[in-house]
Amino acid sequence: MPSETLEEYLEAIYKLSEHGEARPSRLAEAMSVSAPTVTSTLKRLKAGGLITRPGGAVALTPAGRTEALSIIRRHRLAERLLVDVLGMPWEDVHEEACKLEHALSPKVQAALETYLVNPDVCPHGHPIPSAEGDVAEPTGEPLCGFDTGADVEIVRIEEEDERLLSYLASLGMYPGTRVKVCDVAPFQGPLMVEVNGSRYALGRDVAAKIVVGSSKAPSATKKLTRR
Amino acid sequence: MSRVRLGPDDDPAVVVAALREDDPVIALLGNPNVGKSSLFNRLTGIGVETAHYPGTTQVMNLGDTRVGERRAVVIDLPGTYSLSDQAAESAVTRRALVELRPDVAVAVVDATNLARNLYLVVQAIDLGLPMVVALNLVDEAERKGLAIDAAVLEARLGVPVLPCVAVTGEGVDAVVHAALATADASVCPMPPTYDAPFEALLKPVVTAAAELPERPGDLSPRAVAMLLFEGAPDLLGISGAMAHVAGAAAEARTASQEAYAEPPQVTLARERHALAGTVAEAATGARVGGRRRGPRDLWALTSSPKTGVPLLVFVMAALFGFLFVVGDFLATGFSRLWATFASPVISSAIHAVAGTGQVAEVLRWGFDAGIEASLAIGLPYILTFYVLLAILEDSGYLNSLSFLADRVMHHLGMHGRGLLPLVAAAGCNVPAMLAVRDLPTKRERLIGSTLVALVPCSARTAVILGAVGHYIGWQPALGVFSVVFAVGIGTGLGMNKLFPGHTGGLVMEMFAFRRPRIGGILKKAWAQFKEFLFVATPIVVVGSLVLGALYETGWLWKLTGPLEPVVVGWLGLPAIAGLTLVLGTLRKELALQLLVTMAVVAMGSAASDLTTFMTPTNLFVYALVNAIAVPCISTITVLVRQQGWARAVGIVAFTIGVALLVGGIFARLLPALGWA
Repeated sequence: MPSETLEEYLEAIYKLSEHGEARPSRLAEAMSVSAPTVTSTLKRLKAGGLITRPGGAVALTPAGRTEALSIIRRHRLAERLLVDVLGMPWEDVHEEACKLEHALSPKVQAALETYLVNPDVCPHGHPIPSAEGDVAEPTGEPLCGFDTGADVEIVRIEEEDERLLSYLASLGMYPGTRVKVCDVAPFQGPLMVEVNGSRYALGRDVAAKIVVGSSKAPSATKKLTRR
Repeated sequence: MSRVRLGPDDDPAVVVAALREDDPVIALLGNPNVGKSSLFNRLTGIGVETAHYPGTTQVMNLGDTRVGERRAVVIDLPGTYSLSDQAAESAVTRRALVELRPDVAVAVVDATNLARNLYLVVQAIDLGLPMVVALNLVDEAERKGLAIDAAVLEARLGVPVLPCVAVTGEGVDAVVHAALATADASVCPMPPTYDAPFEALLKPVVTAAAELPERPGDLSPRAVAMLLFEGAPDLLGISGAMAHVAGAAAEARTASQEAYAEPPQVTLARERHALAGTVAEAATGARVGGRRRGPRDLWALTSSPKTGVPLLVFVMAALFGFLFVVGDFLATGFSRLWATFASPVISSAIHAVAGTGQVAEVLRWGFDAGIEASLAIGLPYILTFYVLLAILEDSGYLNSLSFLADRVMHHLGMHGRGLLPLVAAAGCNVPAMLAVRDLPTKRERLIGSTLVALVPCSARTAVILGAVGHYIGWQPALGVFSVVFAVGIGTGLGMNKLFPGHTGGLVMEMFAFRRPRIGGILKKAWAQFKEFLFVATPIVVVGSLVLGALYETGWLWKLTGPLEPVVVGWLGLPAIAGLTLVLGTLRKELALQLLVTMAVVAMGSAASDLTTFMTPTNLFVYALVNAIAVPCISTITVLVRQQGWARAVGIVAFTIGVALLVGGIFARLLPALGWA
């Protein structure tokens, strides 16, 4: 059983690999620690057979993936508990769940799941992995990956950013809203999108948090390759 | 308005109380760029007060208006998309509506984008304030091929709706009359009704709020319930008596979360948008005759990178060129006129009062040269810049600029909009420094101010061209510019790395193009220019008096001693050149003029050719130090006002430090490279 720190790393690596390659620099950024700290922790994870380092990147081994999904499952279950049962505000539970997740034994997880009637997703709309380590494929891709002409629909707003979520909601951008990319500024600049007849410039950092599905998009939609 | 003296830091509630004198208070509410300020400017005269809540940068303008016999106080609230607390402007606007209790709120809405605009209206109606809707930009809507039925809107919203065109004044009187009638009657609008299941969730909270013996701010039970449901407890100051209402709201939030599987405020936003959309759709029809072509069609050209980037470069070059050429032309003309007409009058007035002695000469420095310095920057550069800025702003082009330049400016720690002051600074630092105020965060304003101070303005450029270009050649002059440019870029990159925080996420509405109106532009430019004129001129005069006293009493020459180690020892310049660098603080081009004058005084007429006592390296270093060190006194004045004393002193000290460092390096480097 890995320590709490190692669990946090596995969780971060899993989330990073969902959106591309997990690199130590991005991991350091995500965990808010220095690069040397990341390097030494990665050594420990590698020694434990939880990760491999193909070409300097970080990849989870099957064992590592199981551990990562387990911690994500506990985190999201904890969030549900805090919101559904304790009635805590939606915006506060991410931090709290980070502390709680490490204390949930498989027994408690099973009890929680029964009590919460097998929830599929966390309060933020992310899928909860099953006890067996199965997880629904995350749908959608960040808006920032789309190019001029794309016509997509918002699936969710990433990263538990409640303020951004509410602000975008007040502008009429919430899950289910159709977004058209009108222009992309040069040098990986902001995207200009059209929503309900209004146009907005969205910084790349903001667009990265808006996850969209292109189910209704025309097949001509081009996708930019990531930098 | 002059009856009450108010500081810019006074509590808005105090300001409103002082201004109202029992007259009704009208608050203007609306999305950004819907013509709210145009309406405000049209209603109010020149005397406008500003107020803001401590700790916020969101400014509210206050003025008064007369309608026949009656007077009313008008508050221009910050432009906002909603009345929630996710953004500074929306939190301030909501707070002002609840705390200042205007007698009537006039919601200004953009007829070309009704659905999005009505969201705010619906939210304001939920607050239960007496309200009137000013349906603005009906002319633009027609151009777009839309006809809005005000009567349908009125029936659906339950508040008076008056079409108008704020920039031309069409229909504005009717808006004010309706607002005053609503204020007199004090009719609160019927709250909107959302979908039945959602209303059922809200009901217990409203019931609980209705049972309160006393509601904060005299709000309606529904308003209290909605605010609590949205999660705005701090605004209401939850007392013990309100605990059960807050509890009911928390229960309703949980129930909403369960029923809709998303945060309650998102569900509420959905309900409001749905309602706003339905109402807008019902009221909007196609205009007979269809769409009229107009400036809107320029859209695609200005923000699409292929055409937008060349256009951006062209606009920036034109802005620079206009300030540089036209500004310079006007400044020269002004100085000539001043020397012919104003200067003799002021001089004789001074001589009449103070005789012809030293005191009179010092006074001439302050009241002749000082006022001239302020006006010679103010009229040709600042007024010109403000007119250009107002055109860019009112037409909507600033948005395209911010959009296209955003990524590049991020490296310097600013948003795209920060490009504008930097380009303007090449004409004159002062208006650029004033334009820095529009940048969104404190961090961006600090970086912006510092970089602006490092951009060589036309006066400093004149010194570079006059000292280096004239005596040595254009290539070294270009070299000076390159060094200054590198220093600026380096400072921006460095500050972006060093200072805590980062440039925040960008969510900016891209407004449609509008035809700028000359009247509105001039009024806006004048309002901003006035501020510079009355704030900066006295300080420039005082500064000039001090410099004049130093010069006339000869104490300036005594500075030669203390300056010598730096000027002669480190920069390798003649001592006299150091003195003129100090005097250049009054006006940067003055440095070179005084250098020639003082050299002639000290060394005889042959010294009017600078090369007789300065080497090419000397001239290069001199122009370089003059370009980087300390902006002129007018710029410093604006800088202090913008950033406060501590930061202004820091920035000025930084420029001196960098100038000396770079100057010293080149004083050694150039001879080492084989330069004379």
